[in-house]
Amino acid sequence: MIRDIIKKEILDNITSPKFVFTFLLCTILILLSVYTGVANYSAEKKEHTASVALNRKNMESRRDYQSLASGIKINKPPQVLGTIVTGIEEAVGRVAPVNIASDPNLIESKYESNPVFAVFGALDLMFIVKIVLSLFAILFTYDAIVGEKERGTLKLALSNSVPRDKFILGKAIGGYISLLLPLLIPVLLSLIILLLAPDLSLGRAEWSRLFFIFCMFFLYLSVFFSLGLFVSTRTARSSTSFLVLLFIWVVFVMVVPKVAVIIASRIKPVPSIHEITSKKDAFLRQVSAEVNKGLPEWIQKNARNFPRDQKAAQEMIMKYVKEIQDEATTRIDANNAALEKDYQLKKKEQQNLAVNLSRISPASALTFGSMTLARTGVDEYDRFLSSVRTYKPIYTKWINSKMGTTISVLTGGEQVRIDDMPLHHLEPENLSSSLYKALPDFSLMIGMIIVFFAGACVSFLRYDVR
Amino acid sequence: MIEARNLSKRYEDNVLALDDLNLRVNPGEIYCLLGANGAGKTTTINIFLAFIEPTSGQALLNDIDAARNPLQAKEYVAYVSENVMLYGNFTARQNLDFFARLGGKRNLRKDDYYQAMQKVGLPEKAFEQRVREFSKGMRQKLGIAIAIIKDAPALLLDEPTSGLDPKAGAEFLETLTELRSAGKAILMSTHDIFRSKDVADRVGIMKEGRKVMERTGDELKHENLQHLYLDYMRGSVNPETEVKAND
Ligand SMILES: Nc1ncnc2c1ncn2[C@@H]1O[C@H](COP(=O)(O)OP(=O)(O)O)[C@@H](O)[C@H]1O
Ligand SMILES: [Mg+2]
Repeated sequence: MIRDIIKKEILDNITSPKFVFTFLLCTILILLSVYTGVANYSAEKKEHTASVALNRKNMESRRDYQSLASGIKINKPPQVLGTIVTGIEEAVGRVAPVNIASDPNLIESKYESNPVFAVFGALDLMFIVKIVLSLFAILFTYDAIVGEKERGTLKLALSNSVPRDKFILGKAIGGYISLLLPLLIPVLLSLIILLLAPDLSLGRAEWSRLFFIFCMFFLYLSVFFSLGLFVSTRTARSSTSFLVLLFIWVVFVMVVPKVAVIIASRIKPVPSIHEITSKKDAFLRQVSAEVNKGLPEWIQKNARNFPRDQKAAQEMIMKYVKEIQDEATTRIDANNAALEKDYQLKKKEQQNLAVNLSRISPASALTFGSMTLARTGVDEYDRFLSSVRTYKPIYTKWINSKMGTTISVLTGGEQVRIDDMPLHHLEPENLSSSLYKALPDFSLMIGMIIVFFAGACVSFLRYDVR
Repeated sequence: MIEARNLSKRYEDNVLALDDLNLRVNPGEIYCLLGANGAGKTTTINIFLAFIEPTSGQALLNDIDAARNPLQAKEYVAYVSENVMLYGNFTARQNLDFFARLGGKRNLRKDDYYQAMQKVGLPEKAFEQRVREFSKGMRQKLGIAIAIIKDAPALLLDEPTSGLDPKAGAEFLETLTELRSAGKAILMSTHDIFRSKDVADRVGIMKEGRKVMERTGDELKHENLQHLYLDYMRGSVNPETEVKAND
């Protein structure tokens, strides 16, 4: 009996006009997004290879190590799964300059070079799933129950000895299959594109990641599917059901992620850069004042102990000045470091709060989860940046040793040798730790599916079929 | 086969839609339930199908209480509702096929479906036509075919002729008498006083949730049902004494 219901549901769906429409739109959008993703990746990869080569050539053509110390560039390689989940790849810089003077940071983002991209964002598969396919999931379920009631078929079906739980289960399975059907062909074609694209050598690890990303996509669609089913058992008219679902969709997809950021910044405020700078300045002034005040006092106190010899006396004062200056520098550095650390900590706390708050929306869970799995999220950039920051002292040490030894050679006009330069290396995050990070997102979606589906079943058992 | 015992229904908003209703339809009998809109006919049928629970009393199908054992009770009944849209994307046969399967008939052949549709007077070209293009009358006929094909011993029909043209209505009554000869117990709510008189073995008139009159078909041969009906609707006859006199 349940098989009859499933069969009927699939047939009913695929013979409806919405199916053809969904199928065409899915096919076009999915293929378009994967195609642009692949094309983008190829271009980025070429650009990356070119810049790395250029950087190296640039370094080798230097005539002294001094100029090398003023800066080399580390290029972040594009992530191959950015073809599916662009993440923040385009918004964040792809280059980290390393020099002795300052902390490395990311610059030269794609948005910087072409701000129009920032307005529209990336058309990646994740976006299609998040916005378009979730709407289709709603389209396939908003009238699942209430529509049968309106057509009178619910009464007719339940005038037979059909248990209600079987009826709704059959409808859910059949409806879900019909939702997946229009996705089947474009998804398969996309996989073939990914398999055959020349620049895209996906390794075994990438394929597993891809698998989990697709799992997440289907879970996400299931959330909206079961939500639709649930609302269709809580309403007496399909138009009401559709409006309610559209409202929830807007809240989930559009409102929650933005509001979460606002709320997080209220609950856990982060001091502005200006505040930090003025605090640093204030401490600097305080310490210099102390130093300035301390010197005459010290001279006065030690006046009797000064040696007769003026030169010796001067040396003693110089020694003292150097001592207190060193001490002051250490104190200032420590204070700056503490302020910076505090600032970073607060920023991280706020970020985490925003992420966790927004996770009540499955759309956010999808965004974070799939970015984590594709390694195109915030975490990956933090990892990259901190690896560059760890690399900086290694590089500095190397360049310092070079500068020491080659000062004499300088005049000879010999070119610098970088064969023994230590290279920056970023250990890619392994799958299990990515999965671990995405676990909350998976659990959240599964939890929502269970709650919505159970809710749908319970309401349907008491549903007024008339 | 179909039996209501002291059936009462008070809706959540305190409307007393059924007040101590008793009726009985035996196999091979057609029982016509008359009454103005809001008299409680649909409520009665809905209780038999366990779509709503009675406040008190019992609705029995083949002696099975519909409220207690709905699934078991519904095995014995086929239902035609007042206005069913059916699945517009499906052809008539596909609709029939689906509901036949739900009714437990899984081994039917195309011919069985065609026969059932022929019986209710659907034109042959409509058999494989999408129901979306059907008129209300055609859908109603298909609904009747769905009830027939289940081949259940009891039939609950809620204003089945409401969308039918006169010719189709007449054909429908023919079908009903055929079903009666096949031993089915048929409970039908209707507004069609004249046809009820022709076809019914028993007629009940309901008013404000109560059965105010019941006559057998034989008794009605000597009475004018239309006058009786209007008298009861006007309230010019005392229902209590009438019902008692009949019981
Ligand atoms: N769901 C409901 N809630 C409250 N009152 C209802 C409901 N359904 C029907 N009624 C009331 O019950 C009475 C009987 O209705 P119904 O059985 O549909 O009458 P009929 O089918 O004879 O026209 C009417 O007064 C109607 O307003
Ligand atoms: Mg009615």
